[in-house]
Amino acid sequence: MHKNRLHLPLSPVSLCTGLVAVLGVAYIGLIAVVMSYAALTIEFSQSVRNDESKVATLEAQYLATVAKITDTDYATAGYAKPVAEVFVPAKSVTALR
Amino acid sequence: MRAQFRTRIRIVLASVVFIALLIVVRLYFVQIVNGEDYAQKAETQYASGGSGLFDRGSIYFTRKDGTLISAATLETGFLVAINPQVLGNSAAAHAAIDAVASSTLLSQSAFAAAAAKKSLVYVEVAHHLSDTQGMTLAAENIPGVEVLRERWRYYPGGDLAAQSIGIVSYGSGDTLTGQTGLEAYYDNVLTRSGDALYKNFFAELFSNIGSMLVNARDAHQGDIITTIEPEVETRLVDDLAAANAQYSSNTTGGIIMVPSTGAIIALGSYPTFDENNLQNIDPSLLVNPLVSHVYEFGSIMKPITMASALTAGVITPQSTYDDTGCITVDTARICNWNYHAYGVIPVQTIIMQSLNVGASWIAEQLGQSKFREYFTKVFGQKTGVDLPNESEALIGNLSKPQQIYYDTASFGEGIAVTPMQMIRALGAVANHGVMVTPHLASGVMLDTGLVRPYDWGTDVPVFSATAARETIVMMDALFDDVLDGGKVRIPTMSVAVKTGTAQLPTPTGTYYNDKFLDSEVAFFPSFDPQFIILLYTVDPKNTIYAADSLTPALVDLVHFLIDYYAVPPDRGVATSTSP
Repeated sequence: MHKNRLHLPLSPVSLCTGLVAVLGVAYIGLIAVVMSYAALTIEFSQSVRNDESKVATLEAQYLATVAKITDTDYATAGYAKPVAEVFVPAKSVTALR
Repeated sequence: MRAQFRTRIRIVLASVVFIALLIVVRLYFVQIVNGEDYAQKAETQYASGGSGLFDRGSIYFTRKDGTLISAATLETGFLVAINPQVLGNSAAAHAAIDAVASSTLLSQSAFAAAAAKKSLVYVEVAHHLSDTQGMTLAAENIPGVEVLRERWRYYPGGDLAAQSIGIVSYGSGDTLTGQTGLEAYYDNVLTRSGDALYKNFFAELFSNIGSMLVNARDAHQGDIITTIEPEVETRLVDDLAAANAQYSSNTTGGIIMVPSTGAIIALGSYPTFDENNLQNIDPSLLVNPLVSHVYEFGSIMKPITMASALTAGVITPQSTYDDTGCITVDTARICNWNYHAYGVIPVQTIIMQSLNVGASWIAEQLGQSKFREYFTKVFGQKTGVDLPNESEALIGNLSKPQQIYYDTASFGEGIAVTPMQMIRALGAVANHGVMVTPHLASGVMLDTGLVRPYDWGTDVPVFSATAARETIVMMDALFDDVLDGGKVRIPTMSVAVKTGTAQLPTPTGTYYNDKFLDSEVAFFPSFDPQFIILLYTVDPKNTIYAADSLTPALVDLVHFLIDYYAVPPDRGVATSTSP
């Protein structure tokens, strides 16, 4: 009455232990990857925001300069009005820009 | 063999149980024994982290060459918080912070009061520190003083188009949301959740995998691109401020629009406010009068009356009438601005000399039903502009049977409309009789980088193209021959114009004899306009007529736009004139 038994090359305990070990390493690896990804993303995001901040400062300077030029009183600044204004004719080359 | 296996199983089981017990014991200490401390610690971390996470889409101006310039963006820097439980000498700490960042720091008494609240662990005492200031203070390592990252809303233009760009504030909730202007209108586009980077990846993966793969918010979140041109905007607000100052007006406003598309390239009103400094601001300034206030505009309504009558076919440009200077309608007296009787004159003179008696005559030729029909088509609904709190026009008088209401409406009194409705209606005359939807946003730049243009609806024909052209001929002649005695005529550019001066209504329903609203509209080149400009000033002092109070600003803007956009001449030959 001898039963034929399945003979595995590895014992079930070794198999399970190996599997748990692989899963454990994979889990830790995934966490490491995700954390690194999140850290890098935050770092890049912050870097972009810092750059945007610097651009905003430059834009504020540009708009302030435009406002200053617009507000300039040229007579006070020493400039004289032109003696005549010449209007470009409709048929001229420059008029067709 | 089997005994060995059983032993191993027991060892593994025992290990698992032991580890589980360890975790349970640790959990007991964390949650039950020290739970309150951890909760407080987490609360502190949340509070400081939350302010650093503020995120919001940008709003852009668009230069004429397509370059985007921020109208509203984010500034990054630092905030300073104290932990009263750890803070030692509060006066010394205040002095140390004050040395670095004095502008936004609490006063010494408020700081001392905050430091005295020993039950708290986190109190913010200064905001908006620059990188340098933040780093300097952090390097001092003052016990109980924390220097944390912070982001806040920043408007590079300051007061440029402030009422239309709008502001963000906490309102009734605990998050910063758009309260006025484009910030409010496009709040759902500009709002950011700000939590995407900090969510637990695995929790998200298992609980919300759908939204991780396809995020519906990405389909509409982004930055708003406006049609506002920053240099034109600057010029407009400069001219408005100058006119307002010269005549000590209550309010002066203006809009510049492309009549064929409805794209607004500049708009503003004076007085205004600095969007980066909302402390002590007059709340009434937050209201945008260009869409929320209604005015009786006066004679700039006459082109609408003229185009309506020409479209209806009740008059032609060759029609004449007998102008007696004054008429009596329903016992009320209507007179020309100069009380002059012009006799039998062509209808063109009604526009060129701004004759109230003539406009009333046109209203009577149209009849009440048709007059109501045209004016309701033009002013009977909101413009649909992308700004919040748009008011409806007050045209209830056109439902009444008395003829006087139609006569007065024909020259812009007795009905009140917003500046935005007025420029839209006059834009229909400029745009071959077709009314468009005025708008500030041309599209949204999605977070993915794609730009999705907005569709601003279908155009509404209100006047015939012929009637619109015939009306423009009259307005064109006004600019060339009448305005400022013909001195402002531009030899190589046709400009259509109309001025308006209306008495301001009193609270009791009558009119002031000495308070006026001046308005002026112009578009050019007259017969294929690229720009339409509307200006108005409320209660200017020491002047009566718009031809005096607003013409300098209007002519300056016309010349500026011609030069800035290199608008090609549409008539004439080379001419030299004295400036």
